[in-house]
Amino acid sequence: MLLNPAMHDPAARGRLSGVILTLIILWPLFQTAEVKPSTLFDPGNLKVIGNFLAGFLPPETGAEFLGYLGKATLETLAIATAGMALAGLIAVPLAYLASAAGRETRTLNPLTRSLLTLLRGIPELVWALLFVRVFGLGPAAGVLALGLTYSGMLAKVYAEILESVDPMPAQALRRSGASRPLAILYGLIPQASKELASYTVYRWECAIRASVVMGFVGAGGLGQLMDQAMKMLNGGEAATILLTFMALVFTADGISGWLRRALDKAPAPRASAFGPASISLLLGLTVSIVTSFIYLEIGLISLFTAEAARSIGEFIASFFPPDLSTEWLTKVGKGIWETLAISIVGTLLAAIAGLLMALPKWRAPWSFVLNTLRSVPELVWATITALAVGLGPFAGALALALHTAGVLGRLYAEALANAPAAPGHALRLAGSGNCLSFLYGTLPGAVPQLIAYTLYRWEMNIRMAAILGFVGAGGLGQLLYFELSLFHHAQASTVIIAMLLLSVAVDQSSAWLRRHQQ
Amino acid sequence: MSFSLDGVGLTHANGFTALSGIVLRADQGERIALIGPSGAGKTTLISVLGTALAPTAGSASILNSGPISTSTATGAMQGLRARIGTVHQAPPIPGRQRVVTAVLAGKLGQWPAWKSLISLIYPLDLPGAQAALAGVDLADKLFARCDQLSGGQLQRVGIARVLYQQAKLILADEPVSALDPALALATIRLLVGESEQRGATLVASLHAVDLALSCFPRIVGIKTGGIAFDLPANEVSENLLRELYASEGQELPMLGNEPRFIPPVADQSLPRALCC
Repeated sequence: MLLNPAMHDPAARGRLSGVILTLIILWPLFQTAEVKPSTLFDPGNLKVIGNFLAGFLPPETGAEFLGYLGKATLETLAIATAGMALAGLIAVPLAYLASAAGRETRTLNPLTRSLLTLLRGIPELVWALLFVRVFGLGPAAGVLALGLTYSGMLAKVYAEILESVDPMPAQALRRSGASRPLAILYGLIPQASKELASYTVYRWECAIRASVVMGFVGAGGLGQLMDQAMKMLNGGEAATILLTFMALVFTADGISGWLRRALDKAPAPRASAFGPASISLLLGLTVSIVTSFIYLEIGLISLFTAEAARSIGEFIASFFPPDLSTEWLTKVGKGIWETLAISIVGTLLAAIAGLLMALPKWRAPWSFVLNTLRSVPELVWATITALAVGLGPFAGALALALHTAGVLGRLYAEALANAPAAPGHALRLAGSGNCLSFLYGTLPGAVPQLIAYTLYRWEMNIRMAAILGFVGAGGLGQLLYFELSLFHHAQASTVIIAMLLLSVAVDQSSAWLRRHQQ
Repeated sequence: MSFSLDGVGLTHANGFTALSGIVLRADQGERIALIGPSGAGKTTLISVLGTALAPTAGSASILNSGPISTSTATGAMQGLRARIGTVHQAPPIPGRQRVVTAVLAGKLGQWPAWKSLISLIYPLDLPGAQAALAGVDLADKLFARCDQLSGGQLQRVGIARVLYQQAKLILADEPVSALDPALALATIRLLVGESEQRGATLVASLHAVDLALSCFPRIVGIKTGGIAFDLPANEVSENLLRELYASEGQELPMLGNEPRFIPPVADQSLPRALCC
C-alpha cells in the first residue's frame, strides 16, 4: 500500500453511524422511561425522601419491633428453604423427562419443555400475587410461588448440564443393557455432580433474596414488614429491616461460597462416598426443611382437598378467555414497550456507574458500596426511589440501576482484574500515564467480558422490569397489579401472557445470540 | 552517555539476589547483546535499564536521568520512560485492539492527553503508523485486528510500536525466542538497522549465541547475577562461551539447535547456524 497523506480510517464511518443509530434508538427509550434527573432535586420530593432518610437514624431497636423482626427473618428463611425443597422435588423428575441425556436417540420432550417455559416464564412475584388470592395472605403463597418458578429454572438447567457433559459413558452403559436412570446415575452424574450442586446452592442464595421480596405482595416474611414500614414512612424501622436484609444476604453469600469450595475437595478413600461431613450436612438439610414447613404451618395436604381444588378451578377459570380487544392489547403493548425502556435505561445507567466504581484506582473504597447496592433487591430499591422521584417508570429504572450497578460493578472489577496485565504494564514502561495505559492496554482485553456481563444482566433486568410495577414503578407490573386489584381477571390474564411471551422472547434471542457469538 | 550502571545490585523482596555488583556503561548508539544461561539475570538487567525495577544497591542513570530510585518523581519518570522503547518476549498487545491503535500507543508518553484520547476513537497519525508498519513489512495490516495476526506478525507489530516511539534507548528481552530461525534473523537485523539509522542505543538479551556474535559489536556475558565478560564480538572465544554455558550441558545454544525449534522429526536437517 502506498503512503497516502489523505488516507482515513475505514472503520470511522461505521463507528459514526453506530453512535448516531444508538442515539436514535435511545432517545425514545429515555422518553418512555420518563428520565427526568430534575425530579431528583424537586423540592417536594427532596423533602419527602429527606425526611424519610433522616428517620433512618437511629434505626428502630424497640424490643417489640425486634421481636417482629426476628419472627419475620425466620419466616423469610423458612419460605426460602421450603420453597427450594418443593422446587427440587418437582425439578428432578421434570429434568429427567425434559433432558435428552442418556437417551439412545436425542429426542427432546416438547411437552415437558413447554411446561418448564411456562413455570419459569411467569415471575415468582406474579405466582405469589395469584396464590395470595387463592390461599389468602401468608407464607404458603410464597412457598408455592418459589417452588413453581424455581422448579422450572432448576429443571431446565439440570437438563442442560446433563446434556453438556460427555454422553459416551452413558451410551456405553445403555448399549450393555443398563436402563436410562442407571445409565445417567453411573455415566453422567459423576461428571456433572459438581456443577449440579453448585447451581443448586447458587439458586438457594437467590431464593433468599426472592423470599424477602415476595412479602411485598403479602406472602409474609421480611418483605411484608418492609412494605408496612414504607407505607407508614417509618425510616427507623426501614433502616433496621434493610440492615437485616444485608446481613442475611451476606451470610447466604458466605455460606454458599463455603459450600462451593467444599465441593472442590477430593473424596476421602473409603467405600461409601458419604462421610460424616456429608451425612451431617444431609441431616441438617432434612431437619431445616421439615422445621421450615412446621414453622410456616403449611399443611400441604389441605391444598389437595376437594374444597381447595374447586376454588382453585374457579379462580383459574375466571382468567379465561383473556381480554384480546384491540384497545386492551394496545395498552399491554405500551406496557411491554415501557418495560423494555425501563430495563434498557436501568442497565445502561448501571453499566456506567458500575464501570466507574470498578476502576482499579477506586476499587477499594467502593467495594463496600457495591456490596450494599447489590444486597438490596430491586423491588426494595423501587419503594425508595418511588419516594425520591415519584411513582412511574423513572423510579423503576433508577431502582434497577442501583441494584444492577452493585452487581455489575463487582463483575466488572473481576473482569478487569483478570484481564491480561502485560499490555498496560508495557505502556507504562514506555512512559504513558496510568489512565491512558488502562484505556489502551487493559480495557481492550476485558471488553468482551464486560459486554457479556452487561447483556446477561440486561436479560435478567427485562424480567425484573416487568414486575417492578407492583410497587408503582411502571411497566407491565403496574398494569397487572392494578387489574388484579380490581378483579379484572380477563385483562390481568392478557398481561400475564404478555409477560410470558416477553420472557420466552428474551430466552430465545439470548440463546440465539450466544450460538452466533461462538 | 546512554546509560551507566555503577555497582548495581537487585535483591527481590523474597530475599533472592538477582543481580549484584553490575558495572556497565554504554555510549549513545552502541549495540550490545546480553548472553548467558537462563536464570542468569539477563531479564532483570533489562528491567533495571527499562526502569521497571529500581536497583536496591548501587546507582543506575539512564539517558542522563541521574540516579533512579523508587522515589523518582512520576512526571520525570514518565518523561524518561517515553524515551525508552522495549520489545518484549511476548508482544504485550490486547488481541481485540486494531494494529493501528497498538502502534500509535507507542507515543502515549509523548502525546498530550487529548490527542491520545481522540486516537482511541479516530487514529490521528495514520501516516506515521503506516510508515512504522512499512518498516516491518506489515503496511497492509494497518486496520487489521491484532488477533487476526500470526505470532510472528504480532511480534513485528510490537517492534513497529517501538520504531514509532522513536526511542533513544531500545531494549529487547529475548525478542526472537518465539520466532523461527529465518524470521529471528530478519527481526534482529531490523532492530540493528533501526539503531544504526537513528543512532539509538540497542540492548538485546539473546539466547542464540551465534545470532549475538554475528549481529552485535559488543557482547556482555551474564552469569549468576554478575558480568562474566564484556568484550567486542571478535574477542569472544569459544572457551569463554563454554565456560559461560557450563551449567547448560554440552552444546552452546545456537539459533538452529534450540530445542523449541525442532518439531519431532522434520526439521532435524536445519542448518546449525545462520549468519547475519
